[in-house]
Amino acid sequence: MGALEDLFVRLLLLFATPEAINPVLSDPRTVAVLLGALIAVCGGVLGVYLLLRGMALTSDAISHTVLLGIVVAFLVMTGLLGLPPDLSSPLLIVGAAAAGVLTVVLTELIERSGLVKQDAALGLVFPLLFAVAVILVSRYVDNVHIDTDSVLVGEIGMAWANTNSHCLEHCEAVTITPDDPRAVLTRQCVNCRALNISPRDPRAEFREVCANCGMYTPAQAYQAGLTSAAPTLVFWPKSLTVMGLLTLVTLGFVLLLYKELKLSTFDAALAAALGFRPGMLHYALMVLVSLVAVGAFDAVGSILVVAFFIIPPAAAYLLTDRLGVMLLLSPVIGAAGAYWGYDLARGSVFGLVEMSDVLAALNRALGTQLIERWDSSISASMALMMFVLFVAALVISPRYGLVSVSLRRAAMRQQFDDQVILAHLYRHEGAAEAADELAVATLHEHLRWPRGRMQRVLLRLRAWGWIQVEAGIAHLTPQGRQQVEAFREAHLLQT
Amino acid sequence: MGRDEVRVWGGILAVALLGVLFVPFSEWALGVTYDHTLRTVALGGAVLGVVSGVLGSFAVLRRESLIGDALAHAALPGVGVAFLLAGRELSVLLIGAGVASWLGVYVIHLLTSRTRLKQDVAMGVVLAAWFAAGIALLTYIQARPDASQAGLSSFIFGQAAAMVERDVQLISAVGGAAFVVLLAFWKEFKLITFDVEFAAANGFPVVLLRLVLSTLIVVAIVLGLQLAGVILMVGLLIAPGVAARQWTHHLGQMAALAGVMGAFAGGVGAILSAVDRKLPTGPMIVIVAALLVFASLAFAPGRGLVWAMLRQRADQKRYAARHVLADLYKYASDHGGASSGVPDAFVRGVRGGEAPIGLAKLQRDGLIQASGTHWTLTREGIRAAEQAERSGQGGDDGRT
Amino acid sequence: MPSQNGSSPTVALHVEDLTVAYQRKPVLWDVDLDVPAGVLMAVIGPNGAGKTTLIKAVLNLIPRAAGRALFFGQPYEQARSLVGYVPQRGSVDWDFPTSVLDVVMMGLYGRLGWFRRPGRREREAALHALEQVALADLAHRQISQLSGGQQQRVFLARALVQDAQIYFMDEPFAAVDAVTERAIVGILQALRAQGKTVIVVHHDLQTITDYFDWVTLLNVEVVASGPTAATFTPENLRRAYGGRVSFMEHGQAAIATGD
Repeated sequence: MGALEDLFVRLLLLFATPEAINPVLSDPRTVAVLLGALIAVCGGVLGVYLLLRGMALTSDAISHTVLLGIVVAFLVMTGLLGLPPDLSSPLLIVGAAAAGVLTVVLTELIERSGLVKQDAALGLVFPLLFAVAVILVSRYVDNVHIDTDSVLVGEIGMAWANTNSHCLEHCEAVTITPDDPRAVLTRQCVNCRALNISPRDPRAEFREVCANCGMYTPAQAYQAGLTSAAPTLVFWPKSLTVMGLLTLVTLGFVLLLYKELKLSTFDAALAAALGFRPGMLHYALMVLVSLVAVGAFDAVGSILVVAFFIIPPAAAYLLTDRLGVMLLLSPVIGAAGAYWGYDLARGSVFGLVEMSDVLAALNRALGTQLIERWDSSISASMALMMFVLFVAALVISPRYGLVSVSLRRAAMRQQFDDQVILAHLYRHEGAAEAADELAVATLHEHLRWPRGRMQRVLLRLRAWGWIQVEAGIAHLTPQGRQQVEAFREAHLLQT
Repeated sequence: MGRDEVRVWGGILAVALLGVLFVPFSEWALGVTYDHTLRTVALGGAVLGVVSGVLGSFAVLRRESLIGDALAHAALPGVGVAFLLAGRELSVLLIGAGVASWLGVYVIHLLTSRTRLKQDVAMGVVLAAWFAAGIALLTYIQARPDASQAGLSSFIFGQAAAMVERDVQLISAVGGAAFVVLLAFWKEFKLITFDVEFAAANGFPVVLLRLVLSTLIVVAIVLGLQLAGVILMVGLLIAPGVAARQWTHHLGQMAALAGVMGAFAGGVGAILSAVDRKLPTGPMIVIVAALLVFASLAFAPGRGLVWAMLRQRADQKRYAARHVLADLYKYASDHGGASSGVPDAFVRGVRGGEAPIGLAKLQRDGLIQASGTHWTLTREGIRAAEQAERSGQGGDDGRT
Repeated sequence: MPSQNGSSPTVALHVEDLTVAYQRKPVLWDVDLDVPAGVLMAVIGPNGAGKTTLIKAVLNLIPRAAGRALFFGQPYEQARSLVGYVPQRGSVDWDFPTSVLDVVMMGLYGRLGWFRRPGRREREAALHALEQVALADLAHRQISQLSGGQQQRVFLARALVQDAQIYFMDEPFAAVDAVTERAIVGILQALRAQGKTVIVVHHDLQTITDYFDWVTLLNVEVVASGPTAATFTPENLRRAYGGRVSFMEHGQAAIATGD
């Protein structure tokens, strides 16, 4: 991890100076949004595949159960191995991945017994594993990083404070020993306190003591005046390393295996026939989901991470049909949700409306006594903003949005109504029953339509010159006949 | 009513009685005495378990287990809003939860019917968004001076100890009302769960009935929230139904047994967590319920995995015996008559691993006798072998 | 086809201008159909011709874009007790916890009305129906333990117990063994002998002339409908099935053996 962090820092330094970087990386808002965006990229990309494979809720199950992996690994680490608690330990990652795979395997096993349906199998396994984890947490884990609160919401708002410093220049660590020329030696009375005498007393005995001996980091050394040049430091939030790595792995996975994933998602049988091992891909995907869930655990908790996996892909799915576009849109929507979500947690909705004004208005209108300062969970607010973006996509998507769909449907219904009447005329014209079937006054009764609807359709058809009415009987015009035949060509004569 | 049916009902009754006896038993085993609080908690847990077990059976049969999960999560913002508007009054909080849950049902329905999203995605979106809204509200509420007494966080993982006698009365009354509705429309619910199309063709208002049934499930979820919490409520809802399903092929029995098992899980979970405050109630209930499920999957007569294994082993023995008998009969007939001896080595050589199993079973059934290193068919053995040969079952069937 | 008034009592089913569409795609297009009482009729046509849709639309199970259906001159709401329905076997979960007898009694739920439980009379009626399909000794069997053919016969018994005048059956012969098929045909012909009308969605063209005395060829529109001898012709088959030669040959073979 250390080497990777170094690499990230060096990459960053290609674009900016440490003076420019440090204020950015120690800004709580920037770090939280950045971290949220990284989680959104991972979740958004993997979530697209989960959605298309009909496994959206598997991410829900896995994000619950990785907690068990984390807790068990944590207990093994601190209890059995006597290691210091460390949430970025590889053991934790192994534990989480194992828990994720265990969830999937256990569900499949129970389902395969034939005794329990799939939905119930999933609904049994993950609550159980999660329940065991929660019991272990509340009973045996006594640690600031894992408690039932962090299980729920994480600490994305504090991510900026937990940093490693990386030194770039003047990185001289200093160790001062008593025989160093820079050592400050003072005389100290050895027996003054014991004899209750002043140091001036002739009985006093003295010893030389070093006042500034010890190890100094470069920064401390400079501050103490031991070095002349200020070291150049970059403070790097630890959580960015893990999520940064996971983002790289996720993107690499998808870019390298794009066509295999695509094929196994849309046609697993063909993928297997071509030797692509869709089963392996399935488990690789599950492991990645588990890893992202555990990487995000620190930041957004064990449950809200589901929002990052499900909501942005769902929004993207409403916007496009193309896998490539979905894979771009989904992370962007997630990251945008993370960006506006931070502001929402601090009380601002898209920078347009202040929550405090809303609450004040509520208090005035309803006579409630709500606290007017809005301060809320950052991760939950990010999820909420993703949902807001989802709703926006749901309403205005040009292809699948509610507005365009209902407009299109209305137009389609009109067209269809026209065709129904034209076809009716076409079929009964010239037959013995024509006088009965085609009388304009009773046509609506034959088709069981409201009279108004029939009148509108007839009006339209006459306006377009597709029908004529003579002596109360409707007839097709040549143009109308052409319409019917074109429609039959398109829809009926398919054999 | 068939004899089997009577027997199963008897079994359910017996289990229920055992459940009642559990109270004094646990006093002895856990070394606790049931003071008033503990009694309330145990009773509340049991009542809730009955309600969710019975109603959850329908969620299981309708393959809507995960909707139960989504709806439980979706209740949380309702709790928050209700608290902000009306303070900590259980009935109001539950109404808020119900409304939020209901809105969740509606939005899931809307998303599935009006967009291209599949049901699982719609459920995931609602679950995540509603839960996030709930958490956002709850973290906001925690800034209030009276928030600490509100005990709202108990709605997340469940807290049995927070339950008082009035709560139990409320739960019993609402749950009782839900049961009355369930019984009144029992045959209709059964019909729409089994064959919704046939119900529609017979003129039943299936949309309305489905709505009522969904409402009952929401009621069960909402009542259970205080005890089991939004995250793990799905466990209490479906686990009893899944467990009960293994023991019976009768809908009424399944629902009743699910009620008994739910009561057991709810009661035991509540007691354990009330005895040790460090144990949140929801997870305890889920663990107890899951144990019931695994026991049922393993041991339920007919369906259980252990039975299946035993049956398989019995089949294996039967086939081995049949094959060995045919071998013996053929060898003996070819070597001087049906009652002449057959060398042990021959049987073992021909049948390999099946030989010892088959020989042991045949000997136990009195069809063959051992005489030194030879086996002889008894009179029954010869008759059995002849019969098998006539019905064409002897020889190599089952081996190819 | 002579124009018959839909209210004539000898017409068991009168369908008028029935149109059903999914999105914009027509599934049934301006269907007119008259089925006289007392016939055993097959509805045939290629996949996607709207056979199942026809039954469901007539029984108000799916919305119609236009048109209506009358049963003995009455709309479905008033004629419900005259109609029996056998859905496709695969449409339900056969692992549902219930017994054979129970499923058959479901046929009587509609008649029972709200709040009433099935009692002794319903039980006896159900047992009688089970005897007719030769499943009486399986009455208490759990439905998951039935074979495909037995499941089909249970559905048939559930329709029989409705004691209807007109029956709609959606592919009752799908994936059943030969013995069951013969048993089912026997029951259908017995129904016709009692003067009932039976409308069956059917796939196997070879058995049409043996089993049915009336046939409707459907391909989104009604291609032809009438007595089997006059309607089940190579010409009509070609119009319904288009250029699907293999079907055609089966059809002609069936006609050859039937004659």
